[in-house]
Formats: sequence, C-alpha cells, structure tokens
Amino acid sequence: MTRRILIIDDEDDIRQVAAMSLETIAGWDVILANSGKQGIERASKEQPDAILLDVMMPEMDGPTTLLKLKANGQTSHIPVLLLTAKVHGSDQRRFAEMGVAAILFKPFDPLTLARQISTALGWREDG
Amino acid sequence: MVDPLSKRDETVRTAATLPPEAQSPEQKLQTMLSALWERSRHTVVERAALLQEAGKLWTNDRLDEATRLRAVDSAHKLAGVLGTFGLPRGTELAREAEQVFGQPIPPSKVEIEQLLLLLAELTSLIDRGPVGSR
Repeated sequence: MTRRILIIDDEDDIRQVAAMSLETIAGWDVILANSGKQGIERASKEQPDAILLDVMMPEMDGPTTLLKLKANGQTSHIPVLLLTAKVHGSDQRRFAEMGVAAILFKPFDPLTLARQISTALGWREDG
Repeated sequence: MVDPLSKRDETVRTAATLPPEAQSPEQKLQTMLSALWERSRHTVVERAALLQEAGKLWTNDRLDEATRLRAVDSAHKLAGVLGTFGLPRGTELAREAEQVFGQPIPPSKVEIEQLLLLLAELTSLIDRGPVGSR
C-alpha cells in the first residue's frame, strides 16, 4: 500500500535523505516542508498518512508544531513521529502527553527508516 | 554479532559496480546517497571548519558567545547527519563536540586540547567521506 508521508525538517540534507529512503525503499509518496509553519499548511492540505517532524527547528520548533497540529481539527488525527538527535526521559513523557505517536532518533539508517515508521505505527507492510 | 554497517558498506561497493537498471532499491538508494553526499560535502566541511575555528579561539580565551552558540548548532547538525550518510564515528565525535561547546562552564586547557584532537579526527573523517562516495 502506498503511504503518503510529510517530512518537516529545516535541514535540507535530512529532508532529502529521508525522502530518498522512503520513496526508493518503500515506494511511498513524500511531501516536504522546511518549517513548522509550512508543515502545518501542507498537512492540512495534503492529509498525509503520517508526519515525520524534526524537534529542533528555528522559529517554530517541533513540539510547538506538534501542539498546533493536534489542536487543528484538520490535522489532529494524523500520527506524528518526532525525529530527534537526543531526548531525555522527561522529554519523552512530555512528548507522549502531547500526543506524539513515536520518537525516532537521528542519525537514522536510510535503509530501514520506512520499516521503523511502519513498526512504530503498527502498519502491516514494512516497506 | 553482525555489524550492520559492514553490510551497508558491502551494499555500497556492489552498487558502484552495477548499472542503475540492474540495481536493487537498496543499491539505488546507496547510489543516490553517494551523490547527495558529494553535493552536501561543502556544507559539512564548512560546519566542521567552524568547529575548528571555535576550538582555536577557545585556546586563546577569545571565543565569544555568538560563535560558541553557532558551534553548538553546527555540532548538533553534524551529529544528526553524518551517521545517516554512513559516518557513525562522525556522529559520535560531533556529539562530543556539541557537549563540550554546550557546557555552561568554560572547559579546562586539557579539555580544549582533547576537543581539538577530536575536531581534527572529525575533519579527517569528513575529508575521507563515507565508503563508496568516491
């Protein structure tokens, strides 16, 4: 089944590697956004199956973007996976309370990223 | 214990010898990642150079706050991306640098010397690039 994933990250390299990975290995459709603001707009319009959201971004960071996505009736149902280089136990609890579906860690392995997402979201296919 | 990176390196070497139409999705991805690394290399090199410059300024006690914060940001970004390109040691080194530059108390001379060694290794590693990138 072809999935549609929205990647929100201010880092060009990370966006491109993740997109290449999900498109090439899993055959999924990928939508890109380089900021939280752009990500919220694209999520509302494109209605992806899941959102991969970077934590550390300028202007609107990942947690703030997550809160806005969950507060918006058009996007609140879309599962959000946070992508972060490091996370403390207290942050994990905070993110869980904010409604995050899973936390994935940078650096990710491009060969297995789709499988990680599928596993985290309980999707049957593994890419 | 199987080293997943050795499997990845094997995939990279195999991909380099096959035409695109004969490559598996994994091999195609490795070919694309190698091309992306070449396009991104200058940004990575610039970030590593900024870290080295900040480290040198620290040895002379001339590191200002803005440069220190830029160093923390650069180290964080390098930590996030190098392992993804197949340089896990680069991620380790960048994380250590991020920690040192990010600590509230200025480091001792010994810590700065260790930092400079670490940054030299990071720069050398970036210069060599991941397996299959050349």
